[in-house]
Amino acid sequence: MELFALSAAEMVRGIKAKDFSASEVFASCLSRIEALEPELSALLALTAGMGREEAARIDGMIARGTDPGPLAGVPVVLKDNMCLRGVPATCASRILEGWIPPYDGKVAELLAGAGAVFAGKANMDEFAMGSSTEFSAFHPTSNPWDTGRVPGGSSGGSAAAVAAGYAPLALGSDTGGSIRQPASYCGLYGLKPTYGLVSRWGLVAFASSLDQIGPFARTVEDLALLLSVIAAPDARDGTCSPRERPDYAAPLAAASLRGKRIAVVKELDAMRSSVDPEVLRVLENTLNLCREEGAEIVEVSLPVSLEFGLPCYYILAPAEASSNLARFDGVRYGLSCREDSLLDLYLTTRGAGFGAEVKRRILTGTYVLSSGYYDAYYLTAQKVRSLMKAEFRKAFGRCDLIALPTAPTPAFKKGELVDDPVRMYLADVFTLPVNLAELPALSLNGGFTGGKKPLPVGVQFIAPQWGEPELLNAAAVLERRLGKAPIAPLGAATEGGNAP
Amino acid sequence: MTFRYIPVIGLEIHVQLSTATKIFCPCSTDYIGAEPNTNVCPVCLGLPGSLPVLNKRAVELGVRAGLALSCTIRNHTVFHRKNYFYPDLPKAYQISQYDLPLAEGGEIYIPGDDGRPRRIRITRLHLEEDAGKLVHSAADGRLEGAAFSFVDYNRGGVPLAEIVSEPDITSPREAREYVARIRQTVRYLGVSDGDMERGSLRVDANVSVKKTDETSGEVLYWGERTEIKNMNSLRAVERALEYEIIRQTGVLAEGGSLERETRHWNDGEGITTSMRSKEAANDYRYFPDPDIPPIVVTEELLESTRNALPELPWAKERRFAGEYGLPEADAAFMAESLPVALYFEECVKNGAAPLRAANWIRTEVFRVMNEKGLSMDSFPVKPSVLAELVALVEGGKLSTTVAREVFAHLAEGRSLKDALPAAGASPGGLSAEDVEKMVDRVLLANGDVVEEIRSGRDPKGKKIKFLTGLVMKEARGQADAAAVSGILERRLGEGR
Repeated sequence: MELFALSAAEMVRGIKAKDFSASEVFASCLSRIEALEPELSALLALTAGMGREEAARIDGMIARGTDPGPLAGVPVVLKDNMCLRGVPATCASRILEGWIPPYDGKVAELLAGAGAVFAGKANMDEFAMGSSTEFSAFHPTSNPWDTGRVPGGSSGGSAAAVAAGYAPLALGSDTGGSIRQPASYCGLYGLKPTYGLVSRWGLVAFASSLDQIGPFARTVEDLALLLSVIAAPDARDGTCSPRERPDYAAPLAAASLRGKRIAVVKELDAMRSSVDPEVLRVLENTLNLCREEGAEIVEVSLPVSLEFGLPCYYILAPAEASSNLARFDGVRYGLSCREDSLLDLYLTTRGAGFGAEVKRRILTGTYVLSSGYYDAYYLTAQKVRSLMKAEFRKAFGRCDLIALPTAPTPAFKKGELVDDPVRMYLADVFTLPVNLAELPALSLNGGFTGGKKPLPVGVQFIAPQWGEPELLNAAAVLERRLGKAPIAPLGAATEGGNAP
Repeated sequence: MTFRYIPVIGLEIHVQLSTATKIFCPCSTDYIGAEPNTNVCPVCLGLPGSLPVLNKRAVELGVRAGLALSCTIRNHTVFHRKNYFYPDLPKAYQISQYDLPLAEGGEIYIPGDDGRPRRIRITRLHLEEDAGKLVHSAADGRLEGAAFSFVDYNRGGVPLAEIVSEPDITSPREAREYVARIRQTVRYLGVSDGDMERGSLRVDANVSVKKTDETSGEVLYWGERTEIKNMNSLRAVERALEYEIIRQTGVLAEGGSLERETRHWNDGEGITTSMRSKEAANDYRYFPDPDIPPIVVTEELLESTRNALPELPWAKERRFAGEYGLPEADAAFMAESLPVALYFEECVKNGAAPLRAANWIRTEVFRVMNEKGLSMDSFPVKPSVLAELVALVEGGKLSTTVAREVFAHLAEGRSLKDALPAAGASPGGLSAEDVEKMVDRVLLANGDVVEEIRSGRDPKGKKIKFLTGLVMKEARGQADAAAVSGILERRLGEGR
């Protein structure tokens, strides 16, 4: 097996045992990237030079007997909305083209400190606004399982990179489903942590009260490994919790799901007609596995979240975004269209720099915050958000985890929804209530669709606040039944896993 | 019917808080004189991905000021984003407070125009971040006629407390008194240096005039208000308002109407000019800043801040007048600033008579401070030493004239022991016995004058003054003139 196909944990073990070097791992991943990138376009920047140097440094440490850390020599891909000093961060937007962050984000610091090697910056929907990565200002990304389809979004580049074997690990950000939905479309594990678990310092903000950084991986062990590194307190993010983080490797040893109550959601019944039957089948199958592993399946009701979550989200997220994106004005960095007057500088720069979807959300957000409309929209949505939190709290009084589809459909075709924003927004109907309620949720690959080109289908588990160990526990038990997430059958070598 | 136009004035005062670092990042607040854009970091430059973290010290200082202004402090307060585009605002929103300010509903008293204390209500005190500074290329540094502009973010993110008054102020003089009172208070509290010239205390005035019926007092017409900016001294506040009230009254008296606008005070020309019309009112789209968790002001913080409040200037004034019997003007002068008040009280504690100590501080101490450009804290004459000097004068052992000379030597850094002989005074002073002997000698040597006085030929007291002068000359100024003439009068009376 080629080195790129190993899990992160296998890489670390091999590098520390001197079975192979970090430089060899990086070279293997680099050739994988070079071979597939023309087809996938998952990256916006390749940090080959930086990565090679870093891998050599790790090898030096190993040679000297120094421990480089828990991610020693593991190539990692960062979504392009995360700051890595000296490497452009565009957020897939023209307006940030050419901006090079002069500082490292918290996750970049933590990864570097843990011995990880940066392989590149991943494509995304512009400013993380979208569900297909087609709203990247530079190019769309292809789904490694079917290059005619989208990888999901907005962290589509990160997901495609891990699914294609560019790197065993990637970071995405999730504001309404942007990690879980592409994880589902690309057949991976994707985790959206509890709001406040991972520092947002250095993450270019979309909607500050919803954004969280989280990991993509092909194994639960890798997912836990990356989470342990990035889940740390940070005094530079006032919303990052100072609480002590538990050991995320411990829950992986769980023997079964005995004693666990896993809930299905009553309202899903009424929504069956708008959910792909294959998605429902995979969910059903996964719940059966849970039952076989000893879990009790119960039912909870989330009427507010499933009916009003989407409109609530599409008021609050654009409201915050309209303010967060106001700083891109052509005065200090990024695109600047020289004009004779200040107003024209703003208008021309922002007109040329932002794509249609971003403009749509800035307009929506500006509208809902305007005087005279604030109470009707923003304030009402905040009240709905409070109701949703209460509703989840109540539901978790009766269960340990809630199971829902990650997305209503498997990956859709490129171009299919680009001109239909509302249908595109519906792709997030099951994920965004989790962000509004500030909860953790994990998407795992529950199976594949039938047909000539099978597509992965994700299942989402939602836990109470700080319930990441509970999620990893369930995922670890199910991984033993479902197999690890496979590398998509592209190019030459692929790993076993549960490929159809 | 005759009309009267009455001004209605409300002030917004921005006070720069004396924290060591900016309100949302670790950059220093000491930006004066720094090269442009060197006192900055990703946060105060608003770089993508940066996040604000609230400086708790700013909240503490805000609470301190709020309590001193008799405001109610909120237990829970939040920061809002005030959204607008301008190059000095790097995030395109200012982090400020909106409907949940840190403090509200306070009051402060100022000397009113009628001489009685006037209550000015404080609407609110809230915290916010300062913006950067635009420097325009036009010769006068203003925007008009500038080909391009520079922006310096060194000041961006410096903590400000905005103190908003109710429109309770009715004259430019009262406005000046109010600003002086606020400045004095924040200085007393150590909350701000209150320096108007350096911009750490900035005043915006909202002013309008109402047209009333002279006889009935009935309000006939409320004029539209204007906001005046760029008043960089107490005097500028008074002058700008005087000008603006005359201008507005003039417009209304001629039957014209006023526009709601922002006007710029031009101190050189002594006029206000229109900056921008408020017709196209900005919609700031305030909403709670999701990056900053709500602030909880604990009972403990309130209690400890309340307990740590210094005696405030108005209380000190009252006490100085009551406890020490100082006249109102002296009491106000001694309480004007905390260092002066401390100096004065230290003098008194060391045995100086309060009235005389106050006099010395007002005259001699301030004269030397001004001449040498010293502050009270660095003043070379310790209050205990001044107290000794004052006691010598009080005890009649040193004349005021010689004492002034001694003081001049003290101000040069000499000790009292060295300063007394340097001014030609004997360290122990003259005893009452010594003075009596001198009087004897003078009376003996001037028998003719004594005779004239005794026979009533000194109706204007000129001759007794002459004799006093002779004794003083003999005493080389170390005797107290009043005491000497007292002795003379007694002795001259004896022989009659």
